[in-house]
Amino acid sequence: MNIRDGTSINIPRKRLLVNCVVLVAALAACVALAFLKPPASALTERISPSFIEEAGDKYNETVYDYAVFNIARGKDLRIAAAETYIGIAGQVFSVDTGFMRPVADVLLWLPALLEGAKITVSLSIIAVFVGVFMSVFLALGKMSKFKPLSKACGAYIFFFRGTPLLMQLFFVYYGLPQISSALTINNKFLAAFIAFTLNSAAYCAEIIRAAIQSIDKGQFEASRTLGLTYAQTMRLIIIPQSIRRLIPPIANEFIMVLKDVSLVSIIALSDLTHMTRSISSSSNSVLVYIPAMIIYLIITAFFSFVFDRLEKRYSVYQ
Amino acid sequence: MALIRTENLYKSFGELDVLKDVNLVVEQGEVVCIIGPSGAGKSTLLRSLNQLEKITSGKIFIDEELFLHREKNSTVFRTASDIYKRLLLEMGMVFQSFNLFPHKTAFENVTLAPIHVKKMKKSEAEEIARELLGKVGLAEKADEYPSRLSGGQQQRLAIARALAMQPKIMLFDEPTSALDPELVGEVLGVMKDLAESGMTMLVVTHEMGFARDAASRVIFMCDGMMTEEGIPEKIFMEPENLRTKQFINSIL
Repeated sequence: MNIRDGTSINIPRKRLLVNCVVLVAALAACVALAFLKPPASALTERISPSFIEEAGDKYNETVYDYAVFNIARGKDLRIAAAETYIGIAGQVFSVDTGFMRPVADVLLWLPALLEGAKITVSLSIIAVFVGVFMSVFLALGKMSKFKPLSKACGAYIFFFRGTPLLMQLFFVYYGLPQISSALTINNKFLAAFIAFTLNSAAYCAEIIRAAIQSIDKGQFEASRTLGLTYAQTMRLIIIPQSIRRLIPPIANEFIMVLKDVSLVSIIALSDLTHMTRSISSSSNSVLVYIPAMIIYLIITAFFSFVFDRLEKRYSVYQ
Repeated sequence: MALIRTENLYKSFGELDVLKDVNLVVEQGEVVCIIGPSGAGKSTLLRSLNQLEKITSGKIFIDEELFLHREKNSTVFRTASDIYKRLLLEMGMVFQSFNLFPHKTAFENVTLAPIHVKKMKKSEAEEIARELLGKVGLAEKADEYPSRLSGGQQQRLAIARALAMQPKIMLFDEPTSALDPELVGEVLGVMKDLAESGMTMLVVTHEMGFARDAASRVIFMCDGMMTEEGIPEKIFMEPENLRTKQFINSIL
């Protein structure tokens, strides 16, 4: 027993040490490279004056400062011709030709893509979060013995699951103002938030109802014989047990919403997909879809990991 | 004094009559075992007493107080809700399938109801829980989750959980039927200790040994009726009713 315990602790410790050393070395290298980064002006000075002159008032210049390097591009907006330079380790390199050109493209699009990703992620998180909160009441309402309440909750779920999300979104943003000007929602993010929350509440309500109903009837009976009220039974016994069963389908719903958020481009909200499409049309290249999809994958992988950990945390008693 | 008394209890599931004119009396300090073939309505009778099943008609008295009176599937009389709850809590229930709370430790399973229902102080509830867990032989398992306990341990924990509400009568619904044979003894042991300590018990069981040794009275149920009752010696040795005879012969 002791030997087993000893080895099982020692091996990860050694690995941890190696990982730490590698990490510290990598960080040190990055810090050194970052200090050797040439100033942004050194990059823009390299763009040839003839190019700037030729482009005239259609000339456009972009400079980005990244952790260990920076990048500048001068662009002729009429013909999409460009001169691009990367600065790293005290050197300035031209990256207009060869395999470096697409890399430079991606780097220049990155800030706009990340800006879009921020919208995508924040909209998904708050819509699902508030949606789950609402859905607890919807689910309990639908299971209620009070018929009007149960019917009303059922109708809500029926409507939001039975109509396309795209239409709901469209209706909230463009339709409501026509019904009454008091219902005008000027903020696109707010409009999208309302539509997505209402929609995901309907889906989550069904998930929660299924989870609660999957709890053994004996749990309700034991609670009753011990004198717990219905509210106490739900709060102390049933809902804590449902949480573990809820996490996988809620994770699934979250990832669905994350991708459905791409529909917001219909109301011109700049999420990741909308950004990608506008970059694609302005740069006349579909290359931008590759980094955009990679960003989507990274976000989904991250949240899958988080939900996985949550599920493990809530299954300690099993 | 009768802790539980029923008058003309009827229960039917649709066309099927499960209980027919059951008049049950359980006096304080008695250990009553209900035996009989499966489908005789033994469990339904037990579950009707604490309202897990709604009776079709009849009267239930708890502690000589009219608790519930129903006729033709509708309630004629029900005590005021505070008395109703008090009387309901005079009955502790142990289920065949334990029905422990899987997300709570053994200790929390026992303290939960006293704290949230009786509004007992935490320290007080914990003291009771420690004592009860010791009594059922689970003092060392206090911090384990039910899934880490054996079937016998789980059922003993369930007994402790019911006892924590300090009921006047304990209802056991086939407490050993879901257990492996070698684990039955430990649960019956706890039940015997409980009987000896003077607890009033109503036990639905297939353990004839327990019924013979621990019961002060045995009731034989068949086809929803209390066919015969008496002291264990009489029921097991010289039953009068033909169905009782057949049943006793078939199991011995």
